[in-house]
Amino acid sequence: MNYQFNWAMLITEPYFGWIADGVLTTLHLALIAWCIAFVLGVAVGSCRVSGSAVLRLFGGAYVELFRNIPLLVQLFLWLYVAPQLLPADTRLWWNRLDSVPYWTAVIGISFYTSSRIAEQIRAAMNAIPQGQFRAALSTGLTPVQMYRHVILPYAIRIMLPAITSEFLTVFKNTALALTIGVLEITATTRKIEAWSFKGIEAYTVASLTYLATTVAVIGVMTWLERRLYIPGLIRRGG
Amino acid sequence: MTAPIIQIQDLGLAFDGFTALDGVSLDVMAGQCIVVCGPSGSGKSTLLRCVNGLERFQRGDVVVDGTSVRDCRDLPRLRRGIGMVFQHFELYPHMTVLENVTLAPIKAKGLSKAEAERVALHYLDQVGIADQAGKHPGRLSGGQQQRAAIARALALEPKVMLFDEPTSALDPEMISEVLRVMLDLARSGMTMLVVTHEMGFAREVADRIVFMDRGSIVETAGTAQFFSASQTERAREFLHKVLAKI
Repeated sequence: MNYQFNWAMLITEPYFGWIADGVLTTLHLALIAWCIAFVLGVAVGSCRVSGSAVLRLFGGAYVELFRNIPLLVQLFLWLYVAPQLLPADTRLWWNRLDSVPYWTAVIGISFYTSSRIAEQIRAAMNAIPQGQFRAALSTGLTPVQMYRHVILPYAIRIMLPAITSEFLTVFKNTALALTIGVLEITATTRKIEAWSFKGIEAYTVASLTYLATTVAVIGVMTWLERRLYIPGLIRRGG
Repeated sequence: MTAPIIQIQDLGLAFDGFTALDGVSLDVMAGQCIVVCGPSGSGKSTLLRCVNGLERFQRGDVVVDGTSVRDCRDLPRLRRGIGMVFQHFELYPHMTVLENVTLAPIKAKGLSKAEAERVALHYLDQVGIADQAGKHPGRLSGGQQQRAAIARALALEPKVMLFDEPTSALDPEMISEVLRVMLDLARSGMTMLVVTHEMGFAREVADRIVFMDRGSIVETAGTAQFFSASQTERAREFLHKVLAKI
């Protein structure tokens, strides 16, 4: 092999600054998208199990729409098609924003991920015994109070392992944002390779970034699972 | 003469073509303890759930303390006055016993946390598990869980208590500790509608026994009369099986 390794270049400018920017972009893109996805997912998932047929229909349509189109295609749709549907002045405002690709990626990844979280919420709520609903209502809680204090906290504890996987998936899905021009860590890596022809070093940085963040996420979620562990109900493990 | 606190009037309920209740009428006076028995699928639990509006019925009505369940615009308020105890306890597993008991008094009734905890501890003490208040339900025995569930219902200071097979999921040795709490409650003058197969309990405190089969009341009789001289063949057959347990 004739390849000359040059690991030291990674901590020289401009590469180091690029890497730092790329890592940060990946991190906040994933975090913002995940938070929005979680809120939307809980709301849509609750619609899917609600007593109202209209809400159930809405929830079902939402999930099928965002779950069944590839994320890559959705990103292109949000970038090229969705702005065309906006009123002219809103479209102008949007196109003048500094970071249209970034916010497009936030929207695309959030909606896609929320459809998956909604399904997990629905599955978790369906796993809760009917008696819990009846017990909560029998004490005079309103349906909203029942979901807020009894059903959702219970469901979220059941679905924590699934949420962990989803969180990891969000991190890795942010790599797709490079296709619409977001300089997250994978795009940065390609840029470094193009400038320096040092592909191995560059891609090692990207791989290690994903590995380190996902390991950190697993650590945090394991801690959270311990904290929210329900004594005597869910077997402690993992 | 005062009006009955629960009036069940010609109640009819069907789902998916199956008739769960077919013209059930029953009056319960304040302070009475009524035991409802009958084979599984006879509509006993469904009947209880109609009383606090957990089940939607198609025919007839239930009037609780002057409020029609059918026309009730504020079911949470109605339900606060009716405590309910379930076969599988249905404590919220992610909360401590104390949180289980104080949730509804705080959220539904608007008590302060301190006041709700004072009330909760009073009732937990009454059912004999005040020392378990800080534990999660999963750490308690079945009997303790069911007593906690009774305290949760009592903490709203209801006028009526509904018991839906409260001892059916318990080991034999834990049945008695739950029954004792229920006996005390009945003797203290609580109005109780109890679905159970515990005929010893029925004999001890029931004012009347209602025997149901296939969605209808087959026989209703005073306790002594029910055990000594049931009017219907079906009730005699059932009693024989329940008492012999083989």
